[in-house]
Amino acid sequence: MAAVDLAPAEIQALQVLTIVVFAPFVSGGISHLEARLQGRRGPRILQPYYDLAKLFRKETLLPNDAGWVFVVGPVLAFVCYLVVPMLIPVLTDYPLPLGYMGDILGGGFILGLAGCSVAVAAAETGGPYAQLGSSRAMTFGALIEPSILFVTFTVALITATDLPYAEAAVARASLSQVVRPAHLLAALAFFLVVLNDTGRIPVETHSGTLEFGMIDEARTLEHSGPLLALLQWGSAMKQLILYVILLNVFVAPWGLAGTTSLGAVLLAIPVFLAKAFAVGAVFAVIDNSFSKLRLFKITEFMAAAFLLAILAVLVLYLGSG
Amino acid sequence: MVPLLAATAPPPVPSSFSGGAEAIAVLVLLSEFAMLRAPLSRSQVRLYAFQSLAVTALAFFVAATQHVPELYALAGFSFLLKVVFVPGIVLRLLKDARVDLVASNRLGVATMVLLAIALSAFAFFVVGRLPVRSHSLPTPALGLAAAVILVAFLLVMLRSDVVSQAVGFFSLENGVSVASLVVAAGLPLIVEVAFLFDLLVAVVVFGVLMRVHHGRTQSLSTDVLDRLKG
Repeated sequence: MAAVDLAPAEIQALQVLTIVVFAPFVSGGISHLEARLQGRRGPRILQPYYDLAKLFRKETLLPNDAGWVFVVGPVLAFVCYLVVPMLIPVLTDYPLPLGYMGDILGGGFILGLAGCSVAVAAAETGGPYAQLGSSRAMTFGALIEPSILFVTFTVALITATDLPYAEAAVARASLSQVVRPAHLLAALAFFLVVLNDTGRIPVETHSGTLEFGMIDEARTLEHSGPLLALLQWGSAMKQLILYVILLNVFVAPWGLAGTTSLGAVLLAIPVFLAKAFAVGAVFAVIDNSFSKLRLFKITEFMAAAFLLAILAVLVLYLGSG
Repeated sequence: MVPLLAATAPPPVPSSFSGGAEAIAVLVLLSEFAMLRAPLSRSQVRLYAFQSLAVTALAFFVAATQHVPELYALAGFSFLLKVVFVPGIVLRLLKDARVDLVASNRLGVATMVLLAIALSAFAFFVVGRLPVRSHSLPTPALGLAAAVILVAFLLVMLRSDVVSQAVGFFSLENGVSVASLVVAAGLPLIVEVAFLFDLLVAVVVFGVLMRVHHGRTQSLSTDVLDRLKG
């Protein structure tokens, strides 16, 4: 069989498509596994697709005082989640066109813009729980920010750039890069950040229905129909994007396509999905073995993430560890 | 394909061995932080056992790489004493006292952790300035050991219960052990063993303290000691 080569732009489009198409699949797989761990039968793995299809067929209801922001917010967030996969190594270990238009901080800004637009859209409704959710989401987002910054500093100190591709390449280069304490600490800190940003257990019960404990979940309470579908799809994509950064930049940057041949790039997709399910299984186990922190104890969780990130920088800066 | 950008040369990478050793030293510091914030006395003692295990692993590592056979003996002693014996005794005393949770935080957990981060940064910077070059362990481990010692002091100061004070003192000794492994790996065995006996004496003293204190006040909190008796 003759090797078919893809143009870099096509691979870039494939990266975005992978995230868009498979995000609900990964979410469905994780919730299925979670149900199994709790002794329930659980929804089908493909259930999120059915949910999305159902929601897209429904009508959109606007709250009384909601203006255009309410409609634009979810769309803008979805667009943001379409942009971020271009900046990070989803399928390839070499950078693609537009891959350098933003570094890790740039990707963080775009994810922040997405979170902010959802929060503004929720606040626009005047619904008390939606407003509570957006206010909490912004507060805790600001509190986790220092950890993200210090993880970025670690990457910058290790690679002398702050590009996700460079960090992944450095980690792939040798075993001593992986076991050095700075890398381990930064990876662990980023793991806690992902736990927070995907609304997982020590911070939030993502499948709960009790509004008082909600943070991210409460923001979507007032949306309906296609807008709600966009929000749910977007949050699944955000989860998968964060998994990509955790896996392909820090923890396991192996199994990516090294060439532009069609076979290698297509093979990278199932490998990546397998890795995503593995990390999803870790999150599901954490979900089932810990209890949710009280709202005012969440700062302790953030302090732990910050501690790991700052130790990574200190160890690097003072001892080239 | 666009080549990877590189503005300046990245810092040198430690070898796998020294990176691994340093990661263990970081674990010692992290477990000290965990002790600082652990709410249950029992989990503090277990964390101390874990920290001692990491110190033992470091001693074993130095013994294997530097070919210092005495250190194998030291690693064995410290495993028996600090991982098995001391935590066992303290856990047993705790079981007798039947106290699980002592409300002993003088500050909020997040504040304590931030304070401890500042102290460790101070330790890193100060020790980093010292012209010490270790041949047994990576030099940053000395900064980590100093940070462990300072955070142990913080644990003794900020948690007002007897178990925290005891665990803080014991883990202080762990920090000193790591420092001695970095600076003087070939220290005569008799000196090292004398350290361990010091620890043994401390265990007896703290055991008596816990017993007597609990017998008199029915609690492990040291706050009651401030009250005047008339």
